[in-house]
Amino acid sequence: MSGRSEEGRTVAVEIVLAKALRTHTEAPDSFAAEAETVRGAIEQLSAAHPHLRAFILDDQGRLRRHVNIFRNDAQIEDRAGLGDRLADGDRLHVLPAVSGGATGG
Amino acid sequence: MSEAGLLVSTRKGLVIGRSSGGRARWEWLPLAIAGWKVDYAMRDPRTGTLWAGASHEQWGPRLHRSDDEGETWEETGTPAFPEGVAVDAEGGGDSVNSIWTIAPGAYSGDLYAGVDPAALFISHDDGKSWDLCESLLNHPSRDVWGPGAAGLSLHHISVDPQDPKHLTIAGSATGCYVSRDGGDTWKPQNVGVKALHVPPEMFEYFPEEAAGHCVHSMHMHPARPERIWQQNHWGQYRSDDGGATWIDVGEGLPGEFGFASAIDPRDPDTAWFVPLDQDQARMPRGGELAVFRTRDAGGTWEALREGLPQGNFHQTVYRQALGTDEGDPTGLYLGTSGGEVLASADAGETWTTLRTHLAAIVAVRAWTIG
Repeated sequence: MSGRSEEGRTVAVEIVLAKALRTHTEAPDSFAAEAETVRGAIEQLSAAHPHLRAFILDDQGRLRRHVNIFRNDAQIEDRAGLGDRLADGDRLHVLPAVSGGATGG
Repeated sequence: MSEAGLLVSTRKGLVIGRSSGGRARWEWLPLAIAGWKVDYAMRDPRTGTLWAGASHEQWGPRLHRSDDEGETWEETGTPAFPEGVAVDAEGGGDSVNSIWTIAPGAYSGDLYAGVDPAALFISHDDGKSWDLCESLLNHPSRDVWGPGAAGLSLHHISVDPQDPKHLTIAGSATGCYVSRDGGDTWKPQNVGVKALHVPPEMFEYFPEEAAGHCVHSMHMHPARPERIWQQNHWGQYRSDDGGATWIDVGEGLPGEFGFASAIDPRDPDTAWFVPLDQDQARMPRGGELAVFRTRDAGGTWEALREGLPQGNFHQTVYRQALGTDEGDPTGLYLGTSGGEVLASADAGETWTTLRTHLAAIVAVRAWTIG
């Protein structure tokens, strides 16, 4: 899960965290990671900000049901394994799904 | 003249009150943990720390603590299933959805938590980290557990003040379980309790092993730990032998169904229940809210109504939304699904409305100050 591609180049990505998340807890606007997969990038974010992991992932390390991650303009495909591969310069947007929202309205 | 503190857990945050004038006037802090569903909040009488389990549809469950009587709150360790744990997805999944109850342990730093999906966790470091109780999770009777309308929850934990290894837990719909060895082994304790949501053949041969009963609320009396009260989906019960056998005490009450109940910390024979009009409606009968009290261990009941809504009351009172303080007379605090807080400073005889327009109230817990 190193931040280097198979050719040995660095895969540098940016994780952009939703403003909604920052209303609940301390979180940066964005986080620079070097990782080949979504899993690797989120684990680096979690290493730097341990309390954020449980906001994004459930107990089994899956993406929470009402949280989405977009790789650039498209939702990631592997919500359980977070195995989607990344390319240098990708932006990962962590966004709350509108299917969730605060309980009871 | 004693005063009381109050924690009102609502679907939109935690409401914290403090009385003055002998429980006559109340002051309220700004809404804490705003926007989150606070599933349960309580005060640890050993330390004065306030604990609140909260959950958010998007961001998951979180445990919070306050060491300054609710002025400020911080996130602490939250119970979580270990990665790879074998929990059947049918039984509610393998990730904690919410924290239903928090109970102080017998030893300093020990804290128990009951969660959805039904599981028990223990912390030995005052809530910083949590261990899953695998002996309960792997109990052979688990396959008869099933979720109620509010999910598969473990919502009650009692620790015997006279014997730290004596634990009693209950949930919906797990039934009651007792451990006498600190949680290493568990025994279902449901003999005498009805379970009309499953066929009677299920319990025909091994009634003493029966589990999966739908306990709605339960209380062990701290001064007499073998006495336990429960409001079940199918009736009101009392046990005088630590749960080994249960006695139906529902005669004289208007219905079997109900969620909330409370016991008098100063009298093992006194308890309050809020019966609802059968499980298909789940409202007080006739739109009249009444709290029923027994002072003879369930032999007789009296309806207490003065100051409670007596008509067109279409709300309900959830399982943890009736609390007591330790005052004399005992103070009672009731929260409704319509966001009203009602209180009695005279053991239920008369009631006043403390708050209206809150979000749905899921739990109310009180304590005596001074």
